[in-house]
Amino acid sequence: MSGPDFEALFRVAGVTGWLHAADVDTGREIGHGADEPLPVASMFKVPLLVELCRQADAGLLDPAERVTVPAGDRSSGPTGVSAMLDDVTMSLRDLAYLMIAVSDNASADELLRRVGREAVNATLEAYGLSVTRVRRSSREIDRSMAADTGHGWPYMDPDEVSRMRAFDPSWGNAGSPRELTRLFGLIWRDEIASAASCAWMRGVLNAQVWPHRLASGFPYDDVAVSGKTGTLPTLRTESGVVEYPDGGRYAVAVFTRSFSTALNQPRADAVIGTAARMAVDHLRR
Amino acid sequence: MDLVRHLRYFIAVAEELHFGNAAIRLGMAQPPLSQRIKRLEEELGARLFDRSARQVRLTETGRLLLGEAREIVARADRLHELARQGRGAVLRVGVPPDLAATVIAALVARFRETHPEVRLAPAEIWTADQVTALAEGTIDVGLVRHPVSAPGLRFGEILVQVQGVLLPDGDPLTGVGEVHLADLAGRELLMPPKEGEPGLHAEVLAACRRHGYVPPQVHQGAGLGLVLAGAAVAFGPEVEAPGLAWRPLLGSPIASRVSTAWRGETAAAGDFSAVAVRTLKECAGMTDEGAVPTRRVSRRPGMLA
Repeated sequence: MSGPDFEALFRVAGVTGWLHAADVDTGREIGHGADEPLPVASMFKVPLLVELCRQADAGLLDPAERVTVPAGDRSSGPTGVSAMLDDVTMSLRDLAYLMIAVSDNASADELLRRVGREAVNATLEAYGLSVTRVRRSSREIDRSMAADTGHGWPYMDPDEVSRMRAFDPSWGNAGSPRELTRLFGLIWRDEIASAASCAWMRGVLNAQVWPHRLASGFPYDDVAVSGKTGTLPTLRTESGVVEYPDGGRYAVAVFTRSFSTALNQPRADAVIGTAARMAVDHLRR
Repeated sequence: MDLVRHLRYFIAVAEELHFGNAAIRLGMAQPPLSQRIKRLEEELGARLFDRSARQVRLTETGRLLLGEAREIVARADRLHELARQGRGAVLRVGVPPDLAATVIAALVARFRETHPEVRLAPAEIWTADQVTALAEGTIDVGLVRHPVSAPGLRFGEILVQVQGVLLPDGDPLTGVGEVHLADLAGRELLMPPKEGEPGLHAEVLAACRRHGYVPPQVHQGAGLGLVLAGAAVAFGPEVEAPGLAWRPLLGSPIASRVSTAWRGETAAAGDFSAVAVRTLKECAGMTDEGAVPTRRVSRRPGMLA
């Protein structure tokens, strides 16, 4: 049978969309612009999480080591340590949990400083991921947007948004739908770190709090959705893994750019789930 | 007087036209045979044989009655034959009225293959009425839906049939490959009668509630007219029918569990059970119990906050 009409689905939601979905175990796949290099926004925290685990597996760092993130000089953001007022001391792995569960920028930048972006990219390269790169911290992305527009958040002017370096996949953090589902497949198959570390990563990714994107396409108690969102002006993305009650597991990555710069666009968030559901439904036929 | 027995004597004598030969054929002495023919003649008020000559001849009346006598004896023999057969040779079986006609036909055909001497008499009866019929002895073996319990009832191997959903053509859900129970929200549901299938009713509606589907109305009936009319959906095995679309249910939350049921020890019930298990597995897509996956509820922190 022919695949779902993703083009029409995205258009109705007021976005342009790119998608890749793959059966984690059989490799059966479906795509829509799956190889397009795209900005990953906060999804850069997934390869960072992977590299943290690999360095812990190699004995290069202790995930239980406690570090202090001082109040004075923290990356900004709406959640987690970024949103807190005082010095925070916690373990590296708890920072990682906040980085994934609530997309905490301060935790991410602290961990990126510890593991090093070169190490993250070397691992990506070693696993054949040539588009996916972590080049900038959360803070660097934030500052680039302010520098490119000459003002701070919010960024509502379409012309300004179109000129932002943050969207340039050769300058900012990049990935493609296909490479992100590959990365999630590697985590779900215990292939990119030790089995224990992969199991911990799956737990953390399953603890992500946001219900409005990927998870909204699977509003069922017996379907598990794990993933990581990413958001920049007009860019809404999420990639992750959907697990069905019969054991089927599907890695899905959906990227959207909205035509409008409005911040609140529930349909643009929801279409990520709808498209993912259509893709998984297709893979299961 | 045993008329049929006396008629047998009459036929023997009429065929032999010799009391001695007839007595030998009947394995008795001649005097009692003569006496019994005389008694029959008294009973009928007519002479059957002309014994005046040295040889025995049928009278005109005797000739007339001979044909009738043979007819009566043959019918009496047939009566006994039927009675003998009837004691073990008809197996009265109860089957659920919504069991596919092809499955019932296959059951009857296969049982005939393996047990040609036994005639299967199926009756369409819902589970609760089968339990009553088994207790009253009006059926010998049933094909019941679980959960069912009744003291003294024995069950064959339980088979499971995973159910999908039957949707009317044009329902937006026909566009997806799999339907989750929660997707059915707002749709009315057609089910077998509650009095007939109380166990199934309770179990299916509980599963629906657990999975996020509370039908605004539950209709009762065996036909699919309401589904065709677009007024309801129904659960069932895969069917191809014009105007209907069947879709599997995500997570296989609904399964029909059936087994044979009987009372006491009867070889025929056991034989039927074995045939039923094979037929239901091969023709109705039923599988051994335990094949249904257990349900795992996922934790979503966004739902707990």
